[in-house]
Amino acid sequence: MADTVIGRYGGLGRGSYRPLARWYPTIGPVGAVARTLGCALWGLETALVTVEVDVANGLPHFAIVGLPDTAVQEARERVRAAIRNAGFEFPLRRVTVNLAPAERRKEGTGFDLPIALAILRATGQLTADPDGLCLGELALDGALRPVRGAMPRVRRALGAGICRAYVPVENAGEAAALGALTIPFASLREAVAHFNGATRIAPADAPPPAAPPRWAVDLGDIVGQETPKRALEIAAAGGHNLLLVGPPGTGKTLLARALPSILPPLDPDEAVEASAVHSVAGLIDPEHPLLVARPFRAPHHTASHLALVGGGTPPRPGEVSLAHAGALFLDEFAEFQPQVLDTLREPLEEGAITISRAGGAATYPARFVLVAAMNPCPCGHAGDAGAECTCLPDAVDRYRGRISGPVMDRIDLRVHVPRVPYEQLRDDETRERSATVRERVCAARRLMRDRGRRTNAELTIAEVKRHCRLDRDAETLMSEAMRVRRLSARGYHRVLRVARTAADLDRSERITADHLATALLLRAVP
Amino acid sequence: MIALHPEDADYPGALRDLRPAPDPLWIDGDGRILARPCVAIVGTRRMSPYGERIARELGGALTRAGAVVISGLAQGIDCAAHASAIDAGGTSVAVLGEGITSLLANARGRRRRLAVALRDHGALVSPYPPIVPAHGWMFAKRNAVIAALSRAVVVVEAPHASGALITAADAVRLGRPLFAVPGPLGARGSEGTNALVASGIARACLGADDVARAVGLAAPARASNADPLLDALAAGPLDLDELARRMRIDRSALRARLVSLVLSGAVVDRGDGRFARGAG
Repeated sequence: MADTVIGRYGGLGRGSYRPLARWYPTIGPVGAVARTLGCALWGLETALVTVEVDVANGLPHFAIVGLPDTAVQEARERVRAAIRNAGFEFPLRRVTVNLAPAERRKEGTGFDLPIALAILRATGQLTADPDGLCLGELALDGALRPVRGAMPRVRRALGAGICRAYVPVENAGEAAALGALTIPFASLREAVAHFNGATRIAPADAPPPAAPPRWAVDLGDIVGQETPKRALEIAAAGGHNLLLVGPPGTGKTLLARALPSILPPLDPDEAVEASAVHSVAGLIDPEHPLLVARPFRAPHHTASHLALVGGGTPPRPGEVSLAHAGALFLDEFAEFQPQVLDTLREPLEEGAITISRAGGAATYPARFVLVAAMNPCPCGHAGDAGAECTCLPDAVDRYRGRISGPVMDRIDLRVHVPRVPYEQLRDDETRERSATVRERVCAARRLMRDRGRRTNAELTIAEVKRHCRLDRDAETLMSEAMRVRRLSARGYHRVLRVARTAADLDRSERITADHLATALLLRAVP
Repeated sequence: MIALHPEDADYPGALRDLRPAPDPLWIDGDGRILARPCVAIVGTRRMSPYGERIARELGGALTRAGAVVISGLAQGIDCAAHASAIDAGGTSVAVLGEGITSLLANARGRRRRLAVALRDHGALVSPYPPIVPAHGWMFAKRNAVIAALSRAVVVVEAPHASGALITAADAVRLGRPLFAVPGPLGARGSEGTNALVASGIARACLGADDVARAVGLAAPARASNADPLLDALAAGPLDLDELARRMRIDRSALRARLVSLVLSGAVVDRGDGRFARGAG
């Protein structure tokens, strides 16, 4: 930053620029303006912010302007105490802090460090300019505390060509993982010593990647359930949404928890994207900031819509965004509040969620595989060979009606998970392990990638036309399905996408009648 | 909506068998279809998958034979019977135990959709004035009207002390042929119907052709049950894995067979990954 801090000697009206330090060794000149660089965060959206500090003669006063929210306003108290307790002098003059661009709302505690450094620079206690992104919250004793959302902010700085990041020690991993030249500070005193050249601090190393995850459930541990397992494989490969219906205790949850073990590994760009969301939510492991495994989120059915899709002021990412690039598991699907479930419509269709509030709109990515599990009726035993259902038909209708048509329409795979008979539970035959299924899923994903999309679920209608070629038998079957009008236009394209995935898993270029039959039967149209 | 009095020419003659005959009888829809051969299909609200299938098959077959299906628009067997008649392109009449306006105002979900459909494809009939809400004691009269309007009464599924057995008793009192569908021994929902058959009060209903002959219609051909897949679904809906196990055939062959049956309507999706026999 060439223009970062050149103290302007404006008080005497000469208009000449001089380096600060030469003019006043300890206390800065009248009318000196110091600048440091911070970054504002709104949702996942970031904007570089120049922190300008002017120290002028006048009654002692400390003001922050530039649309600060409460947390930024309170920085005044933290910064004042931290500067004093770190052994520096807080100027008993008129201190004005401007956060530019001034019309953008700023939130959070990440501005403490750039404000403090700019004040010290303006008063000459800091002799060099911090030439990079400064980020951190100050404790009253001058120690640095970590902040939420370090990763997207450093990413923005890197995008703007600023490759140095000065961050709290706990955030150093996040910044270094992105490739920034990261200087970790434990306290304000350390930071000043570093910039003044007294004690140089070495850049942090990029953290080693976390060990490959161990899965709690392996598909090979699950007995029977061939169709549910096949549906799970199709969902994992193509990114299609899946609904498991069955009596209690038949293994719906177990099946869903086996999904992460067959999902393909995260691509590097997906890992950064997903980790950024987790960084904003403050869920990063400082040792291993980059996610290795695809996220698997399983919110409880009492979740509010704020918890599910995000919100609040400032907007925080919800479960749909934390599940980005991974899977969202909603157990007891019908027990969620219907209004809450309906908020899933937009993320399921768009792969992102935009939360608009008075303070501004925040957009979070939300492309996930939805796995929902529910009982067939309130008592749970409709269609259960081992128990009698005691529900009246109207009660069953009402129970299923809790999931609205538009949400149901976006679920491509609906399978029944039956009770497994005892004889079958005891058998010891070898079953396919997750690793084998995962190989097939990865191979199918490679085929999808060659078509220019991560998953078949993301294919646009034009791409469906281009890539979902049916062979002759399949064509006959499809026209028959359309003729008896059991498919809507949306349903038609969704069935083709699922059939494409079934064909990819078979490494088949053309979609055969069997692939199409699989898709039609799994997308049960009531 | 019209109100018919016993002295009116349009008043259904069969109702004059009741003493006293409902006066007036409220009708919303096409009341003239009551002059055609009517068959009542009644049963419990707490139906089993078997009862649902039988109600749908009987309703569909009798409709195709030219009968008008009469029932009480209660959830369960009644709704299945009405829906199958309308699905088969026929007409159906619902006799209500409350005022017609009251039902239309209060019914929700499937019953409401059926009630609205019945006004276009049949009629809603009530012995009570339009805005009278339902009370438990009002349904005995409704059951008597169902029995009186029909030329034959079929009880599909009824546990002991079921309201459908009141309809059955009314049918016997009015001299209408009474059929009961035999069910599995030990199933609570079939205790009442099995008892009707055992005591000789009702004839065992072995198919729609029995009932059609009893009301003087040409008997529909009894559906040939050649397809083992449909046979496997006779007791209730099954999922793909269970079907594959019972049929002992290759999965891809099973998918091909099943999808063609689903498209022809012989098998229907239940929306939860299970498949049931359709009405056809």
